[in-house]
Amino acid sequence: MSSDAVKKRKPKVVRNEAGTPETKRSRAEGDQLSAVSSHVEFRKVRLRQVQEVRVYNEEVELEDRDPQQDYMLYKDTCADLAKLMAEIQELKSSGAKVGSVEIEERHRQCSVHFITLKKLNRLAHMRLKKGRDQTHEAKQRVDVLHLQLQNLLYEVMHLQKEISKCLEFKSQHEEIELVSEEEFFQEAPAEISRPHVTRDDNHQLTLARLDWELEQRKRLAEQYKMSLARKEKIQKAIEQKREYLSSLQPGLQNIMQASLPVQEYLSMPFEQMQKQAEVARHLPPPLYVLLVQAAAYGQACGKTHIFTLNKTLSVNISGDVDEAKALSRRPEDSQEDESDSDAEEEQQNTKRRRATVGVQLEDKRKAMLRRHPLSLCVDLKCKDGSVLHLVFYYLMNLNILTVKTKVSTATDLSGAVSAGELLNSESLLNCLYASDHGKETPNPANRYQFDKVGITTFADYVSDLGHPYVWVQKLGGLQFSSDGAQVALSASHMEKTMKLLRGRLQARLALHKQFSSLEHSIIPVSSECQHLFPAKVVSGLTRWTMMSYQEFTELGFVQHVLKAGLVCETDLFFMAVVERGTARLLAAVVLNPRYPEVMPLFSLSLHWKGERSGRTEDNLRAMESEVNVFRAELQGPRPGLQLLTNQIQRLCVCLDVYLETESQVCDGSEGPREFPREKMCLRTARGPSRLKPFKYNHPQGFFSHR
Amino acid sequence: MGPVELLHMSVFSQSFSPCGRFLAAGNNYGEIAVFSLSAALSPDASEASQKPILNFTAHDGPVFSLLSTDTHLLSAGNGEISAWSWAELIKKSTKAAWTRKPSYETSLEIPEINAMIINPKDNSLIVGGGDNNIHIMDMETGIFKSVLKGHTDYIHCLCFKEREEEILSGGEDGAVRIWDARTNRPVHCIEVFKYEECARPQFGKWISCLATDSDWMLCGGGPSLSLWHLRSMSPTSVFPLPGCQREAVFYQDLIMSVGEGPHVSHCLHGGTVKAQIPCTPSSLNTLALNLKNSEHRVMTVGGSSHQIDVFTNFSYRAFSLSF
Repeated sequence: MSSDAVKKRKPKVVRNEAGTPETKRSRAEGDQLSAVSSHVEFRKVRLRQVQEVRVYNEEVELEDRDPQQDYMLYKDTCADLAKLMAEIQELKSSGAKVGSVEIEERHRQCSVHFITLKKLNRLAHMRLKKGRDQTHEAKQRVDVLHLQLQNLLYEVMHLQKEISKCLEFKSQHEEIELVSEEEFFQEAPAEISRPHVTRDDNHQLTLARLDWELEQRKRLAEQYKMSLARKEKIQKAIEQKREYLSSLQPGLQNIMQASLPVQEYLSMPFEQMQKQAEVARHLPPPLYVLLVQAAAYGQACGKTHIFTLNKTLSVNISGDVDEAKALSRRPEDSQEDESDSDAEEEQQNTKRRRATVGVQLEDKRKAMLRRHPLSLCVDLKCKDGSVLHLVFYYLMNLNILTVKTKVSTATDLSGAVSAGELLNSESLLNCLYASDHGKETPNPANRYQFDKVGITTFADYVSDLGHPYVWVQKLGGLQFSSDGAQVALSASHMEKTMKLLRGRLQARLALHKQFSSLEHSIIPVSSECQHLFPAKVVSGLTRWTMMSYQEFTELGFVQHVLKAGLVCETDLFFMAVVERGTARLLAAVVLNPRYPEVMPLFSLSLHWKGERSGRTEDNLRAMESEVNVFRAELQGPRPGLQLLTNQIQRLCVCLDVYLETESQVCDGSEGPREFPREKMCLRTARGPSRLKPFKYNHPQGFFSHR
Repeated sequence: MGPVELLHMSVFSQSFSPCGRFLAAGNNYGEIAVFSLSAALSPDASEASQKPILNFTAHDGPVFSLLSTDTHLLSAGNGEISAWSWAELIKKSTKAAWTRKPSYETSLEIPEINAMIINPKDNSLIVGGGDNNIHIMDMETGIFKSVLKGHTDYIHCLCFKEREEEILSGGEDGAVRIWDARTNRPVHCIEVFKYEECARPQFGKWISCLATDSDWMLCGGGPSLSLWHLRSMSPTSVFPLPGCQREAVFYQDLIMSVGEGPHVSHCLHGGTVKAQIPCTPSSLNTLALNLKNSEHRVMTVGGSSHQIDVFTNFSYRAFSLSF
């Protein structure tokens, strides 16, 4: 049956051979040659067929054969061979003869099988060779393909590199700052902006914007060129005008020269003012501010005092102008030089020149305390003809202003010993404003500068350099943060300060006058103040002397005043002695520099039948308060320059009252009274502390209690 | 008030509020200051709590006398008496509730008022001062109903004996006069300076302090401070205090006295000075004991200073209130 099937299929195979040998092979592979018998037959058929179509070619045959079949065939053949061998063996062992038919038959069959094996062997070799060839071929193809792949990969890499290079490319236009898009669309003309193209196309937009930028820059460059040309022209014009002006100078000077006599004649010192203005340019800023403000104030005052025909305030600049010029030419250079050399010197000092440190420090101190070569003299005139001369200095390195004062009076003021301190330039302007002693520098920065050169306190140099009062700094527009937050201009201080200065001078002159009377034991009660006192005052001043602070503090009866903190070392201290008969009243007087704004303070001690003081006796205490407290009654006409005199006079009156009423109380029958009662008193004692009637009632002339 | 005014200030009078938590003090400038004792005595008292909570000018002249009723503070100025409600003062309102003037005969100088006391029996105010007379005002109506005349100089001090309803007055003329409050007639007159034990002619004869305790009377001034037995009208002990005394009080078995000299004197009834406690003012005008409030049991003294010394323990000065 199977051989039939093979037979039937064979012709088909042959027919198909030229078309698709692969399908034929695969089909052949699928077929199984099942039986050995059919195999031989099959071979014969095939041989015949090959012979029919073409010349036998073992190689071609090889193609047609299926190795699997060959393998089966080989196995079958081997099995057959073994079987045959076994049969021969069997036969031989059963005693059959070597040349017998059965054995011969089997020999033949064996030979056929050997041939088959041989064939198969050959085929196998050929197949192997073919296989090798195929493998080699395939390998070669693979190699080629691999090479191709490598090329392609390399190309890809290169392209990627190129792409990234392109991406990273920076165009120069990105650094140009362009106008914003909205602005661009608003301003640029349509032919540049081309909105229909550029609205959507970013690239085109950028290009258009660049175009616009270029356009604009071109325009600006044009403009710049035009401006330059115009500048050139204007400069030329200025040059011409300057030349013209300088040619005018000599002519003007001639006219000025010619007008001098006229100016003098008309007493209009234009020339002088001009000169002063010229010098003023070299003033340091604080002094300049002071000059301007003082001059302005002087002018304003001059108008109000026009009838007196002399200016109440005049300002002058004095000092070495050339030096100031040299200084103002390069102030920064010199400053730097100095500080540099300072540093160098310091180094040298530490290294080797210890012996000369003292000398160098002295030099440095001098340099630090140097004042500007120019100073400002302000003369303040009072109505009575006395003049307060103020000289303002500027300490360049400390950046503070100082002032020195001098008083020149219209009348001769000699004679008063105790008045020496009054017009002393050292203390004249002390405490113009409360607690402004002018001893320490108001610039807090100076503290550090002083430490560097070993200055302990500025007070040591005050007599040389002048007083750095705070009000002086304010006049010069110098503000130091220590004095609170209020910042005021120089101008706002000028009027008040000038008034205070004038008031101070008047007060001092008035005191001076009073002192010279007091020293001659005369109490100079002015006519305006007569009504404050009874006509007859028996007690009299017998001594008026100055005291030092030290002497004052040693007095026993002033301790309560010291304890109350009402005494300052800068105050002036006096001792007044009022006497009547055997009674002797000592009055220690504290005179504040701000007199008459601050009342002089009296402390009393009475030596009469033992010693009593305001500490121990209520009536003496009442007398103290009578002279110390009731300022409004005692000050007389404003601004109260007669205050001190009135206080002393009241003290005398009070002593009268005290003695007259006291003797009445306690004397019994001790003969005639020492102090007959002359004052009219309503009552001699009142209240729990039995005070005496110290208050004088003017028109009626009697004494009453407060 | 400047520092010079402070230096010359004297405190003349004091009075504790009815509740005992406040102290009013009057000075020579006519000002009354109200201090909070509870604040000053509290453990966390600061310097500010020693300052007055209220300071106002009550009168033109010095305030020589202050007195507290159950509701009001009475202050005596130059010839006038003003009343201030304590409740209002604590609220810092300084409007006088009323002001009355006794009718004076003299016109040239308005007499001062040196002493005021309350007669609790008929609720009247007894006022003595510069016109030598004692004026009695009915507190209900505010009318001055009677005048006691007898002193020849001005009256320093007044005192009331409740059991006998007697008014005691001491004056510059050196007499202690005893009046019957019901009939307004003089009962006795003791001229202290005539007793040799107490007289001090070198000072004078005025009587500036008076105090009574049942049958006993303290009086002093120009004459030495002395303890009198009223029934026998004789001095039993004289206290050897050097200065003139201005105020003296009985306190338990002690007599406390202030006057010239910067100290409070503690005396025993027998006539010995037990202690002299130093204080700030150089001489003292007034001494007050706060016995109404046990929490703030203090003694305060004022004088020729703007400071009022406070004694919590009576044997030393604790601190000072200050105007």
